[in-house]
Amino acid sequence: MSATAAAVTSAPVLVRRKSLWSKAAYKFRRDRAGMISLGFVLGYVLIALGVTLGWWATGWGDVAGGRWEAASAEHWFGTNLIGQDIFDRAIYSTKTAFEVGFVVAVLATTIGALLGAISGFFGGSWIDEIVLWLMGVLDSIPFYLFVAAIVFAMQESPYAMHVAMIATFWTGVGRLIRGEVIKLRGLEYVEAAHAIGVPEFTIIFRHILPNTTHILLVQATITFVAAIKSEVILSFLGLGVKDGMSWGLMIAESSQEVMAGFFNNFLAASVLMFGLVMAFNMFSDAMQDALDPRKVS
Amino acid sequence: MAIERTPLLSVQDLVVEFSTEHGVVRAIDRVSFDVYPNETIGIVGESGCGKTVTGLAVLGLIPSPPGRIVSGRILFQGRDLAKLSESELREIRGRDISMIFQEPMTALNPVFTIGNQMIDVLMVHRGLTRRQARGASIEMLDKVGIPVPGMRIDEYPHQLSGGMRQRVMIAMALSCDPKLLIADEPTTALDVTTQAQVLEQINKLQEEFHMAVILITHDLGVVAETCRRAIVMYCGRVVENAAIENLFRRPLHPYTAGLLDSIPQIRANRLAELPIIPGRVPDLLNLPDGCRFAERCCKVSERCRRESPVLEAFGDAGDCVACHTPGMPIRETVDV
Amino acid sequence: MSDTGKTPPLLEVRGLKKYFPVRGGVFNRVMAQVRAVDGVDFIIEQGKTLGLVGESGCGKSTLGRAILRLHEPTGGQVLVDGKDFTALSRKALVAERRRMQIIFQDPFASLSPRRTVAQIIREPLDVHRIGTVEERRQRVIELLDVVGMGPEVRDRYPHEFSGGQRQRVGIARALALNPSFIVADEPVSALDVSVQSQVLNVISALKREHGIAFLFISHDLAVIQHISDEIGVMYLGRIVERASVEALYRDPKHPYTKALMSAIPVPDPTRKSQRIVLGGDVPSPMNPPPGCPFHTRCPEVMAKCRSVVPETVDVGDDGASHVVACHLY
Repeated sequence: MSATAAAVTSAPVLVRRKSLWSKAAYKFRRDRAGMISLGFVLGYVLIALGVTLGWWATGWGDVAGGRWEAASAEHWFGTNLIGQDIFDRAIYSTKTAFEVGFVVAVLATTIGALLGAISGFFGGSWIDEIVLWLMGVLDSIPFYLFVAAIVFAMQESPYAMHVAMIATFWTGVGRLIRGEVIKLRGLEYVEAAHAIGVPEFTIIFRHILPNTTHILLVQATITFVAAIKSEVILSFLGLGVKDGMSWGLMIAESSQEVMAGFFNNFLAASVLMFGLVMAFNMFSDAMQDALDPRKVS
Repeated sequence: MAIERTPLLSVQDLVVEFSTEHGVVRAIDRVSFDVYPNETIGIVGESGCGKTVTGLAVLGLIPSPPGRIVSGRILFQGRDLAKLSESELREIRGRDISMIFQEPMTALNPVFTIGNQMIDVLMVHRGLTRRQARGASIEMLDKVGIPVPGMRIDEYPHQLSGGMRQRVMIAMALSCDPKLLIADEPTTALDVTTQAQVLEQINKLQEEFHMAVILITHDLGVVAETCRRAIVMYCGRVVENAAIENLFRRPLHPYTAGLLDSIPQIRANRLAELPIIPGRVPDLLNLPDGCRFAERCCKVSERCRRESPVLEAFGDAGDCVACHTPGMPIRETVDV
Repeated sequence: MSDTGKTPPLLEVRGLKKYFPVRGGVFNRVMAQVRAVDGVDFIIEQGKTLGLVGESGCGKSTLGRAILRLHEPTGGQVLVDGKDFTALSRKALVAERRRMQIIFQDPFASLSPRRTVAQIIREPLDVHRIGTVEERRQRVIELLDVVGMGPEVRDRYPHEFSGGQRQRVGIARALALNPSFIVADEPVSALDVSVQSQVLNVISALKREHGIAFLFISHDLAVIQHISDEIGVMYLGRIVERASVEALYRDPKHPYTKALMSAIPVPDPTRKSQRIVLGGDVPSPMNPPPGCPFHTRCPEVMAKCRSVVPETVDVGDDGASHVVACHLY
């Protein structure tokens, strides 16, 4: 050891300051509401998983009983107009909801992160101008008209809805990330990377984006919920899910039934959807609180 | 010291704790000192030693939760400030005891003119009319050395430089003629030349207004120039309380001596290496038994590790120190 | 400035300027220029330290970054070993960057929060593809040792360290490429007093044992005196005085230098300073006063100062250079 080193060190005592994530996990665990909502969300995930693996609700399309049967031991929520088991259909729809929500959340967040980061890092340049313009354009198109246009253009493909949602939801994430990146790029560790000679795109992906993951996580959950809610309305309008079943379609079906006095279909879909959206929202709030460095629990 | 004077402010065995997610942290631990009228005393220490918490505690400004005054007394003009209610404290703040802070930009409201803010203070505390308050404010701005006060009173904080804003803060703090001014690192955020101006201002005003001043700082140079007496804090405790001449010439506590040695100073013969205090300040969550400075002390003994020293009087100048073996070598003044 | 016969100095700065445009108005036009660095000249020889002192807004931090082209200079030249560094293309720049590194002021913002200490220190080696993976690992341990930290800290994250320790990691990173020159931008200003001396000693050791040249930027005259061989005093983007450290402290010439020195609070109550208190505030670098930039606050101002920019003259004796930009000389 050099002489200076010997003079300077004593026992290498490190300050055990927790990172953002471990602090967040600790705070989250202590958040009752957060933990309960997480439990609910995991419950839903399990249901959707079971459907995908074929454990249950496989017979959602079969005509299993008579018309508009009341809830019974055989059909827990009763049957619909054609005699299909409402419970099975509602459960199956959970899978659809997760599929839509997940695909849209992941892709929209990823695109938003990438474009937002590039736009923010090169803020003020032509790249930034283009991305901002794009965001502006997409934000000014009314959402449902946009979806209708895409559905038409994609010749009734079942993925039209996904494409439309991703194309509009990424802008929210993009703006947030752009703002954060503008802030981060002025920090000294980014200057240090420049001084060392790290190529610019490497700086974005190695140094800047990893420091935005807490924002991305929260945004992903918000997008997930937005996707599910949008899907319900789109399916109701006939622009959404084409093959398969979703809560939106069930509600669309039930609009006639309600007038005839049969509520099961409507209630099953609404309650299940409401449950998932509420739980996910609360989970998202709790996560945001946990990640907030200023909140002392 | 022949005359027995009553202190203006007497802090006795003050303890302040904060609840954090890792447990309860004792930010200051049985801090005691006296401040006499018309005297400037400095509270010196490094970050985390508790000097700011002490200043805030006097005025009941500790954010609660998560902090609170656990025990101890803060005697001011016969009343224990620690026991007063929030409304009683509000009457004292700004009128009998004032405080100025390090960052004038965040202490001043950016959407109101400085005139507005000063006039409000005067109208609330001295019951003046708006006209009278405006006149008094302009006078005050002039006293703190702000040129063309009649115009500047209608400006917003962002239109003023750092040094000016700090002077506006001082003007606001002094507008009600307080008996005690607590200044928490008032010049740390300022340039050296501006710092000189602001310190000079504080000194002048202290004489003119006959106030006592508690100057909280980490800069021993500032203390040497402005204070009559200094209190050195380490890790939440007072380790030395001495008259300025004594403190610099013959420090009593090894920490004080170490600090004085390690500060870079302008000297005729440059040192190849600066003396250092080895090690680091202990974590407040993980305090050692015994003396908190033991790990870094040059004359540590077994007793120091076991037993925490108590603040005791030393000599006859009213100095005290918390050390089992107080007294450090006499320091020669540095040749320039 | 440099003799054609001798070897060129390590670093030579000529007439360096950095202006920042201020945009505004409907079409985002350039309305004004902030003249952060307004014509700076100096030379740093191998292994020597130039201290740069000045108050906030004088442009010293911008100057340090402009030399490394972290801000592209608006004018002037930077010559490294006689070759024009400012004219290099972006590609050639990366290779040359190895010789010149930087240490920052803020220990909390200068290390990437999601990278371990080992990754942070190793990054320069990875970027320039130096050595094998195993050799890079070894080098990281060596560098940690140089700054007085043991190998066990390698897998820790920056938030687990104190300010002084983080500064030392930053220094280790700057050393990774074996630079000949380091810009130290207020490296100890954000640290506690008792830690400052520790880090200063590390920097002194680097000077002595590794022969690295430094541009040491600080507002603290005492720290600068301790560590520099030569000192430049900056005001509003210009160097108003530059001399060897002994000459500057013994015999400061420029009124601003004198005021600066008298303003430092000395930790010695027996010495009551004759303080030169400057009136007024520092003018805005967007609108520097005509003539000498200091004339608005100068206690020795003359009529000439208000209109004529003072030339830089060398008033040194004994062959040592002592330059001053003031009409008094």
